[in-house]
Parts: sequence; structure tokens; C-alpha cells
Amino acid sequence: MSALDALRAAVGPDAVVEHEAVDVDGVSLTESLRPRSGEELAAGLRVLSERGMAALVCGGGSRLCQGNLLKRADLALEATGLDGIRELDAEDGVVHVRAGTEIAGLREAVRAEGWELPLDPPGAGASVGGALASAAVGPRFGHPRDIVLGLEVALASGSRIRFGGRVVKNVTGYDLAKLYTGSFGSLGVIEAAWLRLRPLPESSLCLAAALPDGAAGFERALAAARRPSVRVAAHLDRALAAAIDPVTAREGNVLLLELAGDEALLEADLRELIEETGAHQVDGVVIERLRAIQGGIFHPGGLRLRLSSLPTRVGEATEILARDGGAVLAYPARGLLYVRFPVGLSNDERTVEAAERSARLAVAAGGGGFVIEEAPDWAKQRRDVFGDPGPLFPLFRALKHQYDPNGVLNPGRFAGRI
Amino acid sequence: MPGPDLVTSLRGVVGDDACLVRPEDLFVYEADGLTLHRARPRAVVLPREKAQVAGVVKTCRAFGVPFVARGAGTGLSGGALALDGGVVIECARMNQILEVNLEDRYAVVQPGVINLELSKAVAPHGLFYAPDPSSQAACTIGGNVAENSGGPHTLKYGTTTDHVLALEVVLPDGEFASFGSRTGWTQGYDLVGAFVGSEGTLGVVTEATVRLLELPQSVETLLAVFPDVFSACRSVGAIIGAGLVPASLEVIDQRTIAAVEASVYAAGLPTDAGAMLLIELDGPSVVVSREVERVRGLISQAGASRVEVARDEQERQQFWRARKGAFGAMGRLAPDLYLYDTVVPRVKLPEVLEQICEIGDRYHLRLSNVFHAGDGNLHPIISFDRRDADEMKRVLAAGEEILRVCVDAGGVLSGEHGIGNEKHKYMSLLFGEDDLDAMHRLRAAFDPQGICNPGKVLPTPRACVEAGPVARDG
Repeated sequence: MSALDALRAAVGPDAVVEHEAVDVDGVSLTESLRPRSGEELAAGLRVLSERGMAALVCGGGSRLCQGNLLKRADLALEATGLDGIRELDAEDGVVHVRAGTEIAGLREAVRAEGWELPLDPPGAGASVGGALASAAVGPRFGHPRDIVLGLEVALASGSRIRFGGRVVKNVTGYDLAKLYTGSFGSLGVIEAAWLRLRPLPESSLCLAAALPDGAAGFERALAAARRPSVRVAAHLDRALAAAIDPVTAREGNVLLLELAGDEALLEADLRELIEETGAHQVDGVVIERLRAIQGGIFHPGGLRLRLSSLPTRVGEATEILARDGGAVLAYPARGLLYVRFPVGLSNDERTVEAAERSARLAVAAGGGGFVIEEAPDWAKQRRDVFGDPGPLFPLFRALKHQYDPNGVLNPGRFAGRI
Repeated sequence: MPGPDLVTSLRGVVGDDACLVRPEDLFVYEADGLTLHRARPRAVVLPREKAQVAGVVKTCRAFGVPFVARGAGTGLSGGALALDGGVVIECARMNQILEVNLEDRYAVVQPGVINLELSKAVAPHGLFYAPDPSSQAACTIGGNVAENSGGPHTLKYGTTTDHVLALEVVLPDGEFASFGSRTGWTQGYDLVGAFVGSEGTLGVVTEATVRLLELPQSVETLLAVFPDVFSACRSVGAIIGAGLVPASLEVIDQRTIAAVEASVYAAGLPTDAGAMLLIELDGPSVVVSREVERVRGLISQAGASRVEVARDEQERQQFWRARKGAFGAMGRLAPDLYLYDTVVPRVKLPEVLEQICEIGDRYHLRLSNVFHAGDGNLHPIISFDRRDADEMKRVLAAGEEILRVCVDAGGVLSGEHGIGNEKHKYMSLLFGEDDLDAMHRLRAAFDPQGICNPGKVLPTPRACVEAGPVARDG
């Protein structure tokens, strides 16, 4: 029996779909495994393991551009069929949701019950499982690990495991949910998650202000970002800001803020922010535009990097990147920077190396690290987009070996190209 | 008897005065805060610097001898016990705050720094370290990292894992490794997340970089009286359901009130009250003052017969005395205390509490409840006398039944004390074989030799520790 026939026999004919060739990282995929249940997922994985096959694991597909190049794959394992809310506890503010559920729909469902889903990654069609697996961050909320209470995961062997759970405080055994969040599907396929929700803010509004150049602008941005009602604080260079608020961008770099929470607090912060920064109120749609900028590349075939920095050094890091031709969006309080560099011709390795040099200098100044979030395939072939794991590599390899010894899941894609 | 070669080697690493082997010195290391479980280590070393920690681990590895790091020994699950004649690495002498960055709001500390000392050191600058376990005046940051310690303010602020940015550790092979970064962002697997709460089984922390938070502008503490514990729990549901996130929501049951009021910890609580709810709200003044009014309304609706707001710091401390005095008051009733730690979905609190009280009564035990209601984190306390073999047996049997009731209600085995040596045999109540195998695999990736705090967290066939009626001088 061919491998595909074995797979069909194990999961049912409808869960294995043939389609036109899709190119992912130079690997041509013509079949997809689309399990509709945890049982089908596990049965499929067992066959893949037994047959020595490999799979590209994906959710909504909005972040396939991230990660290292796939080393090999016989098919795509799409988790989108594992969708739906299993339980939404409106009194406790926790939700149990299957991994393939689209974030946009889930957000609306929890909102209707008076809660907010603290996930807002860029990318249309992003799924819960994909956002957790890739630790996707949006303008509003921090690292997804903060909201994961428990996970259900299918391992490459086909065994289905769970850790954590619906309770908000739990030290029963190892916190494997942390290990799996952000592991790019390299250790298992997320099947479902328990997430902690936040109360919907009573009120919210957006502000924009022109900033002075240099350190003064960043100091002002950080001070604003640390006000209690501020949940989005983005510093954009004027070129990027032109796509969001062209009028303010004419005056300089732009600080974009979203305030949310208690009405009285908002009023107080609003008054003082207007006084301190000369900010003016703007339509809430700016957050959508900000999210698009964070996740997008203006130049086709371009290069996008994410850097981390200590909050007070974001300005210094930005200056270095900007000097070297990067367009920078920074979240000062969170210590995150997104920079884009144009890359011209194919195999323009010198430009990529120059961008990396700039990023290395910037993180040396900022005290953090960097990841290449998006790059042309030819550039990815020559480097680990997560950077050299250095002395941690043996530990990464040991973890991969423990959970996916045959390299079934996303081989090559994660840090250390494991 | 200690093997001379091991001890000589350990002395070579830490010096003669920092390696204890005499029975009278080892005695205090036989147990942690859970005194029911005891095991005498082969030796105790007290390193002063991280290179010595690495040297000790390498020495243990060379001799094939297990080791366990220990902070202040305040843990409540037997996690810091050296089983099988292992070596205890006592980190108390590594107690320096190495760096405080006020602008970027983090601190780098050695593992032996006492939790409260860190908050005290940064308080003059308007900052604090959020995790505040009840033992915070004694427990260490290294121990907190190992146990993922919580405290009464986790509802709003989270547990230790939410506040650790980076770790430097000595892995079980004796090599140093750095996880995470001061920025809180990392490339690759989240090894900080995997390490925090691993109960000392994946390595020894030699430096921790932790987040500091801005002290809240305003703190308000309310104490409400209820006719019964159910209406108190209903209030908690109403507060959280209304979208409020208080810093603390602590329930004190009738049995505890009676014990506290009969003791030197008496706080003037109404002894006819069925339950009391302590609520702490913090944040910007403008928000907190509005929230106080909202909470008042919600709990009155839910059946509170009286609500008081602390007028000043003195009164606030008095309110907290009622909560904090519970252990001392229960401790007066008998020579020993057993403090359980489980979590249930918050909506299940009333029914689970009823079952727990029934279990206590059925076993004729003095059982009371104070608990972190906002988190669903229960802490039934039993005062007993371990010299009474029959009572001891009943305490252990009741404990197991309580765990089963909580797991059946969708809860877990521990909210903040950890599994350690106390509950690993119950892990299969909650987890299947595959789940436990996945946890074994994490451990195997870090510690293939199995010498780093063996016999903890995961069920193993070994049972070399005494659990039961052991005399204190035994």
C-alpha cells in the first residue's frame, strides 16, 4: 500500500485532499492532511511516523513566511479542520478552543460574552493554534504564553497529550505549555488550548502625535507608553507613519497610542497626554493599519526583522537601523522593534548581510536579540533566521529528539534548523 | 557514612567550612516546610559563588550521586529533600542583588536573595517584585523559580513564571546555560518557561533576572461578612464576572474565624459570621475608588451582611491579620499542621468546599479553610498530632480524598506548593501515561542521567523517604 493510501485508510478518505501544487520554501506539496478530530490527527501522525514521512504543519497559513526553510515534507498537515469553541466560561473568563479556530471569529464570540481575547497577530485568517505555535504578537497584546492555561497536543508518535488545564493557577507537573508555545510545531501539533481572557475595557480611544527626532522622541514615547491606560504605544518613522496618519507624519516621526480601560482613567490620561505630546484623537482604524505594517513588507522580496531591546535603549537601536536604511516600527515599552530593509535583486546577499550587521549592532545596543521574520528563500538558505542557538543547540536537539525523533514535524523550520 | 572521596572532592570545591557532613548539621536538612516527609542527605554544601555550584554538580555527576538545590527550605511539598543519600546544595550564601535597573525595571539576583528583601530594596524607587508567597520574608528567589511560587496577589499579577525574564543555570552536566533575555524576548524554545516550576529537576539556578513593577498608586482593602461560605463564593464570581480584577480575593471560613478569634491572633471578627471575604483593589486612585463602590454593590447584592473598607494602613493590616493569623491560630490547636493545596474551577468552589468539610468531619479532624478564592486555590488546613498514629492515618486518608474530590471537579493537584515528594504518586489521578511520558521526556532532555533532584514531580517506583509518624527528634 502506498503511503497515501495507508494515510487514507487510517484517517478516512475525506481527510486527505489532493490539490494543485503549492510551493512552500521550494518544496512542492500536492496533498494535505486535514483532520477533523483529534483521533484523525493522531491516526494520521502515526502513519507519517511509521512511513518515515514529514509534514509541513500549519494553521491559517498566515505565518508560513516565518521560520527557516522546510527541509522536506511529503504533505501539508492543516489544522484548520480542528475548529470550534469547546467551552466558553463567561463567569470565569476562560475559553477552551480547538487549534484551527480563526482568531477573528473567536474574538467576536468572546466579546459577545463581555470578554476580550488577548491575541491580535497580524495576518488574515490567523488561527489560534498557529498564533500560539509561532508566538505571534500583535500591537495590543504581549506574548501569547501569558494567556495559555493549558494545551492539548498530538505528538509525532500519534500519542495525544495534555498539560495545564482550565484553572488559572496550576503547578501540577512541568509547564510544557510554555515549551510548546512558540515552538513552531517542531515538537507536536497543537490540537486545542485553554486560554485566559481579559475583561472588555469600558472604553477606548486612539491618539497620534508628532515626535521630535532622536532620543527626545523616544523618551516621550516611553513615558506615554507607561501610562496605566495605554495599551498600544508605537513609534513609527515618518515614512512608515505616512501610511497611517499622513498629516501627522509630515511633522516628523509619529507616536500612535491606544488607551483602553476605565473611563475616568482614560479622561485623565487623555488630558495629560494632549498636554505633554500635543496628541490628537484619531480613528480606531489606525490599529488595523499598524498591525498591517508590523506584518507586512512594502518591497516584494524584502526583508523584515524583529528585534528586542531594553525599553530605554529602543531609541538607540532604532537610530542604528535607520542609519543603515531600515524602516522601523518600535513598541518602546514592550521593547520590540520591527525593521524592514529593501532587497533588490535576487541573491543580493550583500544587502542581507548589511541588514544583519545593522541588526547585530542594534541588539548589542539594545540588550536583546533578533529574528529574521521574513526573507527571500535564497537568503534563508544561507542562514538560521532565528540566529545561531550557540551553546543551547544540544538542548534544542535533545528536546526535538525526545518529542519528534524521526523529524516528522516541520523539519528544519525552527531554531537551529531542527 | 559519607563516602570520603565524594566529601573530600566537595570540600575541594567549596572549602572545608562550607561542606556539612556531621549528623547534627545534616539534621535540619532532613525536611523542608512539609515536615511529614524526611530524608537525611549525605552532605550539604553551601557555595558562595556560581563557579562552586558548577563544581559541586560536576563532582556529584562524577560520583553518580544525586543532588538537589535548596533555598530557604520553606517549600511545602518535600521538593528540597535529598533522597537516596544525595547532596543538598544550599544556596543561602549566594544572596546578592547583582543589578537593579530602575529605568528598564528589572533586577538580576543570586538565587539566595530573599523574596521580600528584593521588594524592600526597590521600594524607595517606587517599584516592587510582584510574586509574594506567604513565606516571602524567608523564602528565596531561587526557590520561587523552582516552585513557580504564587501568593495572595496572583489573581492580578500572576505567578513567578510571569515575572522571570532570564535565567542562568547550571545544567545537570555541570555546564552553565543562559535562557531568555533581560528584554523578556527570546529566539528558540522558551526554556525559561519550561524551567520555572520544574522543582529543581532540570538544573540549579545561579542567577535570575526578574521583572520589577511600578508600585500601585492606591490600595484599598475591604472586609465583608457573609452568612455562609456559599454567598462569599458567589460574591467572588460576581466580582470577576463584572470584569473586575482585584489584587486579592481571600475567603476565610467559619471554622477559621472561630479558631482565629479564640487565639492570640484575634482580629475582632464576628464569631457568628459564616464566612468573610477579604478584597484588595489596587491601581490608579481614580480607578480604585470607582471599583470600591462597584464591589460594595456587587457583594451586598450577593448577600454580604456587612462591608468595611480599611480607613488606614493600620486597619488594613488588621484585616490581613485575620487572613494571615489562620495558620498560627490553627497551629495552637495541636502540635502539627497539614496544609493542603489544590485548585478547582472557581465556579465549583462552593460544592467542593462542602465536600472537603464533610471529609474532615467524617475523619474526625480539625479542618478549616482559608483560600485564594479568585484563583479557585483551596488551602484546607488540618491541625493534628503526629504522635497519634490513628489520627496521622486519618490525616493522610483525608488528604487523598480531598485530592480526588478536586480532580473530579475539574481541578488540579497543586496551585502553588508543587508536587515534590508529596503528591507525585497522585499524578496519575490527573494525567494519563502519555502525558506523564511527555513530562519524563522533558526531564530526560535536560538530565539524561537522572541525578538532578530525582524522585520528585513524576511518579517513580522509588519510595525511600519516610512518610508518616516520625518523631521530630527522630
